[in-house]
Amino acid sequence: MSNFPDPIRAGLERGWKVLGGAHGALPENITCDVAIVGSGAGAGITAELLTRAGLQVVLVEEGPLKSSSNFHQRESEAYPSLYQESASRKTADKGVSILQGRCVGGSTTVNWTSSFRTPEPTLRYWEQHFGLDDFGREALAPYFEQAERRLNISPWLMPPNENNELLRRGADKLGIPSATISRNVKGCWNLGSCGMGCPTNAKQSMLVTTIPAALDQGATLLVETRAEKLVLARGKVQALHCIAVQPNGAPVDAGKPATTIVARHFVLAGGAINSPAVLLRSKAPDPHGRLGTRTFLHPVIMSAAVLAQTVEGWSGAPQSLYTDHFMDTQPIDGPIGFKLESPPLHPVILATTMPGYGQAHADLLAKFPHTHVLLALLRDGFHAEAPGGRVQLRSDGSAVLDYPLTDFVMEGARRALLAMAEIQFAAGAQEVLPVHEMARPCTSWTEAKSAIEALAMKPLLTKVVSAHVMGGCGLAGSEALGVVRPNGVHWQIENLSVHDGSVFPTSVGANPQLSIYGITNRLAQGLAQRLTGKELALA
Amino acid sequence: MQRRSLLKLGLVSGAVLAVAGGAAVLWRPGIAQGRLTASAREVFASLGYAILQGTLPSEPQARAQAVEGMVERVDVLLQNLPPHVQAELSQLLGLLCTAPGRFGLAGLVPAWADASEAQLQAALEGMRQSGLALRQQAYLGLHEIVGGAYFSDESTWASVGYPGPPIL
Repeated sequence: MSNFPDPIRAGLERGWKVLGGAHGALPENITCDVAIVGSGAGAGITAELLTRAGLQVVLVEEGPLKSSSNFHQRESEAYPSLYQESASRKTADKGVSILQGRCVGGSTTVNWTSSFRTPEPTLRYWEQHFGLDDFGREALAPYFEQAERRLNISPWLMPPNENNELLRRGADKLGIPSATISRNVKGCWNLGSCGMGCPTNAKQSMLVTTIPAALDQGATLLVETRAEKLVLARGKVQALHCIAVQPNGAPVDAGKPATTIVARHFVLAGGAINSPAVLLRSKAPDPHGRLGTRTFLHPVIMSAAVLAQTVEGWSGAPQSLYTDHFMDTQPIDGPIGFKLESPPLHPVILATTMPGYGQAHADLLAKFPHTHVLLALLRDGFHAEAPGGRVQLRSDGSAVLDYPLTDFVMEGARRALLAMAEIQFAAGAQEVLPVHEMARPCTSWTEAKSAIEALAMKPLLTKVVSAHVMGGCGLAGSEALGVVRPNGVHWQIENLSVHDGSVFPTSVGANPQLSIYGITNRLAQGLAQRLTGKELALA
Repeated sequence: MQRRSLLKLGLVSGAVLAVAGGAAVLWRPGIAQGRLTASAREVFASLGYAILQGTLPSEPQARAQAVEGMVERVDVLLQNLPPHVQAELSQLLGLLCTAPGRFGLAGLVPAWADASEAQLQAALEGMRQSGLALRQQAYLGLHEIVGGAYFSDESTWASVGYPGPPIL
C-alpha cells in the first residue's frame, strides 16, 4: 500500500466532476464555454487559465484517470494503462517506436521531467521561415517564467546518478561541455520511476497541478472518452462528437457517439498525431495542404556501454545532465544536430531495445547492473531532407504517422553513434554497443569507430525510438505556411484553437514539455482575454 | 474496415508466399476472441526458447515453466493492444501457423514445435537481415513481444540483476 496522500482520490471525494469509464455514464449532450481535447501539457495549462477566468470548461481524455495509488513502479502496469497503444505505437513502416502518454495528464504523467526553454536558434528559425515575429526569447520569457514557477521547475541539485555522471565524465575528458537539466519536481525521492507515473506525487505533472486546479474550479473531466469528430459549418465548429472507449482504445459501442459537446470555443490539445487526426477525421479545411505534415519526432539513437563499476541505471533521477555540444557547434540548417542525455533503464525497455536473441542477447542483459546508455535526440525539421512525417488515418479512423527516415537523418544517426561511443570510452567503458541489429560490442574506441563507420544505417536495422512528437498543426504568420495563427487559432476555423506540441513548426531541439507549457501559456492567456476580457497569468 | 487492412497485409503476404513457392493457402487468424489460438501459443513458445536461450533457467522443468509463463503473459498483453495492432498480429501469427507462411516469412521448414533451437535461431537471423521489410518488421515485432512479456514479470528480474523497484 502506498503511504502517500493521493490528491486525485481526495479530489474525487470532494466531488470533482469526472465522468466516463467507472466514474459514471457520459451524458448525451453537454454545453459549456470551452471544450478541450486532451489533458496533457497544453490542455492542463489551458484548463487552469480558462477556469480561473470563470469559463465553464470540459476536458475530453481518451485514457484513464490513474493516480499515485495506482503507480507501483512496474512497467507491466504502466505501459498498458498510461501509454498510447500500450507503449508500442509505431510509425507506418515500423521504423520508429513512439512513447506517448495516454492517461489524465498525458505525457506529463509519464515523462522523465526534463525541462528546457525553447532554444533561441529554434525561435529564430521560426521567425525567419514561418513568420512568427513575436516568438523571440524576450517575448516568451515571462510565459516560461510563470510555467517554471507554477511547476517548480529548477536545476536538479542532487548528485546525478552514475548513468548520468558517466556522460559528464566522458564529455569532460574530451573537452565537451555538459550541464545540469532542470526538472519539474517538488520533494523528489530520486527513485528513477518517473516513466511509470510518480508514486510520490513529486513530479509536477498536469495530473497533480493544473488538472486538479481546473477541477476544483468546477471543470468537468471526461475520461476513457475519445474526441472523434468536429462538426463544422460556416467556418465554425458547431459541436464535438465523442465516443466511449475501452482500455485498449476500442469503441465501447461501435459507431455511436456517446456525447455531443456544444461550446463557444474548442481547443485541440491531444498531442501531435492525435490532434491532427481529429482535424483529418473532421475533414477540416486545409487549403494549403499543411494539416498533419511536418510532424517531427526527435528520432532517438542509442549507445549502450558496460562499465567495471555498477551503474544501476534504474535508480535515481533520469536525465539530469545533458550536452548540446553537437547542436551548438554547427549551423541549425546544416547536417542534423543532436542533443545527448542518459535515459532511465528498466528490464522491459532494456530487453526490447537491446538487439539480438539467444546467447548474445542474454550476455548483454546479464550485464544490466553495469550497463550505461546514452541517447541522442536528432533535431529534425530544419533542413529540406529532414521534413518530418505525415499523420494519416487508417481505414478505421485511427491515426498513423508515416515518417520516412531519410539518408540525411540516418547519417546524423551515424555521427551520433560515433559521438556517444567516444564519450563512453572516455568515461571508462569496457565495451560499447551501438544499438543496431548488425552491431557487436566493441572494446576500444578505435574498434568502435571503424565498426560504426561500416554499419548500414538503415531503418529497421538501426534502433530508432521517439518520446517527442511535435508538429502537424504548425503555427505560422501567414495562412500558406501553417495550420494555426500565431495566437493558436485555426487559420480557417474561427472558434478552434490548437494548444499542444503539434503547433511547433519544427522540432524543438530540446525535450519539449517546457516549450509546450510556455507557449500554450501565452496562447491560453490570449484566449481567456478574448473570451472574457480578463487578464490572467499562470503564476 | 478491418477487411481492407486485412487485404493490404494479405497482398504483401501473398507475395511472400508466392516467392516461397506457396500456393493458395487456407489460414486462420492467430488470435480468436481476443486470445491466442493453440497454434499461435506454440509459435510463441518456440520463439521463447530461441530468443531467450541463455536467459531462461537451465533446469528443464523450470525452463518450460518460464516459457509457459511468458506465453501466458503474451496472451494477456495482447488484450491491451488497440484493434488495428491486434488485427495485424493475428494475421502475422495466422500466417506463421501455416507451412507456406512459416517458410515464406520465417524461412523455417520444420513445424515450430519440431524445430531445433539452431533452426529457430537461423530463422530469426534470416528475418532480421532480410531485404524484405515485412520479414524485418515481423522479426522486430515478435522480438519485442517475447522480450517484453518475459521481463514484465518480477520472477525474471533476478536473472538480469534487477532488484525491483524500491519499496515505499
